[in-house]
Amino acid sequence: MSLALIVALPFLGAFLPGLMIRSGRNACAVSAGAITSLALVMLGLHAPAVLRGEVIQTRIDWLPQLGLNANFFLDGLGLLFAGLILGIGLLIILYARFYLDRRDPMGQFYTYLLLFQGAMVGIVLSDNILLLLVFWELTSLSSFLLIGYWKHLPEGRQGARMALTVTGMGGLAMIAGMLILGQIVGSYDLSVILQNKEAIQASDWYLPALILILLGAFTKSAQFPFHFWLPHAMAAPTPVSAYLHSATMVKAGLFLMARLWPVLAGTPEWFYIVATTGLVTMVVAAKIALFKDDLKALLAFSTVSHLGLITMLLGFGTQAAATVAVFHIINHATFKAALFMVAGIVDHSTHTRDLKLLGGLRRAMPITFAITTIAALSMAGIPPLNGFLSKELMLEEASHTVWAGIPWLLPVLATIGALFSVAYSFRFLGHTFLGQPRSQLDHPHDPSVGLWGAPAFLTLLVVLIGLFPMLSAAWLIDAAASAVTGEAVAVNIYHWHGFTAAFWMSVIAILGGFVLLMLHAPLNRLWLATPRPEAKRIFDGIVEPLAALARGLTQRLHDGALTRYFAIATVAIVAAGFAAFLGGAHSPGLRPETPVEIVPLIGWFLLIASAAAIVSFHRNRLLALVLVGVIGLIVSVGFAYLAAPDLALTQISVEVVTVILLLLALNFVPKTTPFESTRLRRGRDGVIATLAGLGSGALIYALMMRDSAFPSISGYHLANAKTEGGGTNVVNVILVDFRGYDTFGEIVVLGIAALVIFALTEAILRAGPANDRLLTWVQDQRDAGDRHPLMLVVATRMVLPVAIMVGVYIFLRGHNEPGGGFIAGLVVAIALVMQYMASGFAWTEARQRVDYHALIAAGVLIAGAAGVGAWFTGTAFLTSDFGYVTLPPLAPFELATAMIFDAGVFLTVLGAVMLALASISRIALRAGEKVNTAPYDTDLPDGEVR
Amino acid sequence: MTAADFSTVLPEVILAIYAMLALLFGVYTGKDKAAPMLVWATAGLMLALAIWIGLSRDGDHIAFGGMFTDDAFARYAKVTILVSAAAVLALGQDYMSRRDLLRFEFPILVSLSVVGMMLMVSAGDLIALYMGLELQSLGLYVVASLRRDSVKSTEAGLKYFILGSLSSGLLLYGMSLVYGFTGTTLFAGILSTLNADIPLGLLFGLVFMLSGLAFKVSAAPFHMWTPDVYEGSPTPVTAFFSTAPKVAAMALIARVVFDAFGGITADWSQVLAALAVASMFLGSVAAIGQRDIKRLMAYSSIAHMGYAMVGLAAGTVVGVQAMLIYMAIYVTMNIGAFAFILSMEKEGRPVTTIDSLNMYVTREPMRAWAMLFLMFSLAGVPPFLGFAAKLSVLRAAVDGGMVWLALLAVIASVIGAYYYIRIVYLMFFGKENEGLDGKMGSVQWLMLMGSAAIMLLGMINLFGIEGLAATAAESLVR
Repeated sequence: MSLALIVALPFLGAFLPGLMIRSGRNACAVSAGAITSLALVMLGLHAPAVLRGEVIQTRIDWLPQLGLNANFFLDGLGLLFAGLILGIGLLIILYARFYLDRRDPMGQFYTYLLLFQGAMVGIVLSDNILLLLVFWELTSLSSFLLIGYWKHLPEGRQGARMALTVTGMGGLAMIAGMLILGQIVGSYDLSVILQNKEAIQASDWYLPALILILLGAFTKSAQFPFHFWLPHAMAAPTPVSAYLHSATMVKAGLFLMARLWPVLAGTPEWFYIVATTGLVTMVVAAKIALFKDDLKALLAFSTVSHLGLITMLLGFGTQAAATVAVFHIINHATFKAALFMVAGIVDHSTHTRDLKLLGGLRRAMPITFAITTIAALSMAGIPPLNGFLSKELMLEEASHTVWAGIPWLLPVLATIGALFSVAYSFRFLGHTFLGQPRSQLDHPHDPSVGLWGAPAFLTLLVVLIGLFPMLSAAWLIDAAASAVTGEAVAVNIYHWHGFTAAFWMSVIAILGGFVLLMLHAPLNRLWLATPRPEAKRIFDGIVEPLAALARGLTQRLHDGALTRYFAIATVAIVAAGFAAFLGGAHSPGLRPETPVEIVPLIGWFLLIASAAAIVSFHRNRLLALVLVGVIGLIVSVGFAYLAAPDLALTQISVEVVTVILLLLALNFVPKTTPFESTRLRRGRDGVIATLAGLGSGALIYALMMRDSAFPSISGYHLANAKTEGGGTNVVNVILVDFRGYDTFGEIVVLGIAALVIFALTEAILRAGPANDRLLTWVQDQRDAGDRHPLMLVVATRMVLPVAIMVGVYIFLRGHNEPGGGFIAGLVVAIALVMQYMASGFAWTEARQRVDYHALIAAGVLIAGAAGVGAWFTGTAFLTSDFGYVTLPPLAPFELATAMIFDAGVFLTVLGAVMLALASISRIALRAGEKVNTAPYDTDLPDGEVR
Repeated sequence: MTAADFSTVLPEVILAIYAMLALLFGVYTGKDKAAPMLVWATAGLMLALAIWIGLSRDGDHIAFGGMFTDDAFARYAKVTILVSAAAVLALGQDYMSRRDLLRFEFPILVSLSVVGMMLMVSAGDLIALYMGLELQSLGLYVVASLRRDSVKSTEAGLKYFILGSLSSGLLLYGMSLVYGFTGTTLFAGILSTLNADIPLGLLFGLVFMLSGLAFKVSAAPFHMWTPDVYEGSPTPVTAFFSTAPKVAAMALIARVVFDAFGGITADWSQVLAALAVASMFLGSVAAIGQRDIKRLMAYSSIAHMGYAMVGLAAGTVVGVQAMLIYMAIYVTMNIGAFAFILSMEKEGRPVTTIDSLNMYVTREPMRAWAMLFLMFSLAGVPPFLGFAAKLSVLRAAVDGGMVWLALLAVIASVIGAYYYIRIVYLMFFGKENEGLDGKMGSVQWLMLMGSAAIMLLGMINLFGIEGLAATAAESLVR
């Protein structure tokens, strides 16, 4: 439990500084310090056991289904890092108390700091890689807040954004790597994963996992080419830089590489990716550091360089190199944190961090000078300080590592890196403290012990480890390196190795570094004169075009045009169909093909031709309507030919009604559609449409050539139509009996649709923009000369009774022969519509006795009553009953309750069609229709024909 | 209709009857004056139904000869749908009242649409599926153009309708192919015809059906309506679009692929994976260029549907469970985010550009922090709940042997993180400019803070939903 408590402590305690700030800044700092100390003590209690080689574990189930458990373990590596995080954290808390300005919200600062600290401790103690990820992103978040702490500085904002973008995305990439790792091993516990080196390295997914995990580690540790965010994050307050960017957060990446070293390292992939990245980072960053004038920028790039060094050592994949890496992690944390704090002190007392303005501070700030000297010399690798020890060991390792068969490459580059490192270390020291005192600096002075205490303590460590490495650090290195490599390590660190290659490389580096510093002025001019990549510009240069690309792409895809959306969807569907076709096995159908006959063939060609003609002539809307009529006609003929007379009858009557209604409606819209697309575009659309059409046609063909897996229900209907429904016309029996519910629903819908048309017309005719448009509407064609051709008028009036009789006939025969209420309704409706067409709206309306609304209502009610009637015979709603009636002199004939229902259907259909027609005619009247305003009659007394 | 059938569909019947009564009530009483009262009544009823369904109904029930299934899966989806619809209704009431947008039809259309969704997730037959889907869609088409006098809103409704009809057509075409090859519309019947040798036409039917359904969840490349409709609709309507219908459609896809095509997992898994990849990448990439937060949320929802489909594509119990967890968390996040978007206004006018969020933290620190939680959660960054959601689908994919899919999902989420982070960045470190000044209604405030708190507290144990989701998934995948 105690391990979890160590992690939880900073989180729980994060509220304290915020609360304590009311009791003063000291109380606030002390509360933060107390929490950190407590965590440090608790960690210390475990130290003896860990140093003995034990691994301490705490397991708490959190979300086991997700593999996410709050498991912690503490081994040498964890101890080293947790100690560094908490120890340096304590020093930073002290330093920040005196560093922060009176106006800065200190409670907030410590709260963020403790959150960050907790997240860091969480990373290094996690035994579950998913838990590690959680803490990993938490550090990104809390560091985001810390970097942006000084919100008034625009630089800080940019820095925060870049840091969060880069590290946050790296962390997300790592999720995938971790998942793969967990998948290979079958467990998300680090302690299990670390036992499975063979399984992981043998897996096909090793390389992707490696790359993804390294992406997370490299972004976090600011490795090339992700190194650019770190210097920009330096706009943060110095305590933050010292803590996050030297000692802890940037080391999280190193920690992860070290943690997974036993299972990931040792392969060529690991060597070439990790060692090369480290090497490049080390050299490039060291060179940039030399030419930075801002103290913190110099330190930032130096940090990047040292991180590269450690990465490279881990990348070598040997036990010895890993041990050196661990050693250098300790050393770097000590001298670099001290130097950052010094930079803060200098900034504090001189109000500048610009090396060009600084100089000669050694007399004014002797204590700071002393601290800086030791720390900077250690960074340069001057004996006998700790920086020397680890750098010498690093050069030793580099000197006998061969990169891609070139033995000299690594040693030379490592020496160059070391050389730059010497140069910038001395520059930091020399250009700040040596030389002539600058008069423009306003009385620089040493700060209070509160500020220099922390760096002084770290410098003490630098010296101690430097002088007595075996006594002061070897035990920790042993424990940590054993944990990293998975084998017992016992280091033996001493200062003099004899005249080895490393010795000469070191000598070259130090001497060369001095020479370089002497030449700094001319070199700097050269540096300034040569174009060099600037991090922020590169970041923006990468992000902006990508964002612009995304924008451009989106605008092309989503320009708001429906046609484009349709095109995209259709292409996707066709492509999907094509893919499915290629992926599956096609077998020809089982049914025999029916012979081709000449008449249906002609009909088929007519159908195709009309369809093609519609596409070509659709801009002429009336012509298109006619062609639609042709298609409808052929379809109904087709139905008749294929022995479906009911369908044919329905189709043809519906066809007539719709064509007439559309014709009337078309009257109010322009007769042609304007051209809006280019020929190319139409060609493209034509290709897409043809492909889609052919594809769906082929599918239907394939469908018709096969039998279904289940028998169809038609057999049941054929067998039972007569016995159950009392009719021999199966279609009609289905409509009024078997699926009576559906029909009932349909007529209700039909009625509602007609009412909606009526309501919409009402809305249009009310005062409003639509009504205004209607009133100002101008016909785009002249009226035809003879509005009411006499022949038509006479013919329609003659036909009316006949047509109604036909309707009744169709209605009556419906139950046993093709026909029925629906068709009858349409037939009668057509007869009435023809009256409208021939004699005009006004004439017809004057003779209309029944309200169409009432007609619809009556239809629905009658149909409903027929259904309810079934209840009285104890059967379910709409069950039909039938019997034979003998009514002399007629032959016995059948009467079914279904007929009542059918009558309801008839009335509804009739009412709906007529209501729609009446609505359209109302619009016409409003639009200035003059011809039909008065009733028209053929036998006007004065014989005048209008 | 037997009594048992009736009792199985009782929740749907209650809601449908309520909607009809409310319509009559609205017409014959105060019309729009009654609207706020109707909104609260509807939200209350939905909540009550959710509690009833969630707590007191159990076991598997099949009604109407297999057309309607009531199992743990359907109940999980229904509770999510009802709760989110209720939340969104309550969320938008104040916004709509103040802008004179609140028509009394709005809550009624929403409840009818919700009835459709409840039918969808319970569908056991192609016809029932289509009926539920259309009932849902028709309600949505109308509410999209609720602001009749606004060109954008009208356009949104019209576009949604036309593209929705296209998708319905596709779906029907697919359904008729499936029917043609199997001779039945019952899911269980279709399932029983599947064997090793599947006719190609059936495969086509499946593909077309999935394409039609992909429209409804706005999965790429059938997502085109989403940005326009999200932008054009009144914001409360957008909030509704991005929550309940997505859950319903996603659950419906799960229903179809498992109940009807459970025997040919490999075939539909590919299709879903392709849809998922396209959605994730399109959503992530296209959102980068957006300056309008509603459009941005549209692309965000496209991407999120992709992630949810990753779970489904795994084709396992764990995958379905992951999808269900994902949807529940996604809905919670979106309610919170839209609570905030509804409160975005300047001088009394609604604002939706993300530039207006500059330095928001200095004006309203609480809300800015809540948004930080939500945005990071949407990005899937630990330790927020969105991470658990993403983790569960990724794990499902990895365990289901689709490591490549998980990898692509992660890459897309890395790209997607960019725009979520940018919003946070603007709120915390943006340029100083004249930003939002509106007050926030108490309901909105409560929902924003509540969902933000859930984002953090939910990580403790996911509020136990993973257990419920597991039961639900097991009832679906047999």
